[in-house]
Amino acid sequence: MITHVNPQDGAALVTATGRLDFEASAGFQKELETAISAAAARKAAVIVDCAGIDYVSSAGLRVFLVAARAAKGASVAFAVHSLTAAVKEVFEVSGFGRIIDVLPDHAAAAAKVGVGA
Amino acid sequence: MISLVEELVLLAVEDDGKIAYTAGSHDFAMSLVGACLVELNLAGRIDADLEGITVLSTEPAGNAVTDAVLRQLVGPRRSVREWVRDLQPQSAVLLKATLGSLIGRGVLEKTEARFLWALRSRRYPIVDGREQKEAKLRILSILLSDELPTPHDTVLIGLAFAGGLLEGFLTRRQIAQLSDRIGEIGGLDLIVRGVEAAIRDEAELRAYTMMMSVH
Repeated sequence: MITHVNPQDGAALVTATGRLDFEASAGFQKELETAISAAAARKAAVIVDCAGIDYVSSAGLRVFLVAARAAKGASVAFAVHSLTAAVKEVFEVSGFGRIIDVLPDHAAAAAKVGVGA
Repeated sequence: MISLVEELVLLAVEDDGKIAYTAGSHDFAMSLVGACLVELNLAGRIDADLEGITVLSTEPAGNAVTDAVLRQLVGPRRSVREWVRDLQPQSAVLLKATLGSLIGRGVLEKTEARFLWALRSRRYPIVDGREQKEAKLRILSILLSDELPTPHDTVLIGLAFAGGLLEGFLTRRQIAQLSDRIGEIGGLDLIVRGVEAAIRDEAELRAYTMMMSVH
């Protein structure tokens, strides 16, 4: 899985591509935690573009919980957007939409966390 | 630190050392299997998704209880709910082994008494109550707040609820009042969702069987 973090005004944009399974989960979690810490330092939000994530397993799903928890603890606004159908189904089954802001696209996610699109 | 499986079983031990009656249910049995599957996932031996469980490695994880479950996960790929239903008959063995593990750690001890000369009563008095107390306090703290739990606590709450163990320290009314919160965080794990589905399957089968026996 490939992850890019692009710090911009008001938010760190995280783009992830590939399968989020057990093998990828540790690395992705570390990237997200680093992005959240950096965002906290400059009072920015974190927006994760999930358009490139075509699969998420139970291990991968836990990464989002850990990230959401870290963001909340650091008072960092956190949102994900552009979930693929497969990932959206996993989020719906597990009820993640109740704890993480899940938006259809970047503009909506940016608006949700309060930064310019 | 005790494992998730040990923590779940510890919640089933009452103050007088008796095992809660809910631990005799199929719901608890399936929750116990679910806890083993989550431990195996965390240890990198399996991964799971909405379709099924994938065995990543058959190398023992070093835990006798979960390794016993790992050895069963052979054959074609099957869903979490199917594996939970099929493995739940082994829960008595898993429970016994986990109690043994807790005794080995000095958390519990085993006592046996006879009454009416012939009937045996076995209990597991708590020797070191810190782990159980801490688990209960952690669960209560999460349920009574809006904090996001760790993945470990999400699973513990979800499986404790599914297995009827919250009744050990919450009244039914309290559980009902907290049901939204329990539902919100207890299912944030795909394996717990699979356990819930397995429990529903079994309840539906029981209801169907009952209906057919009446007509």
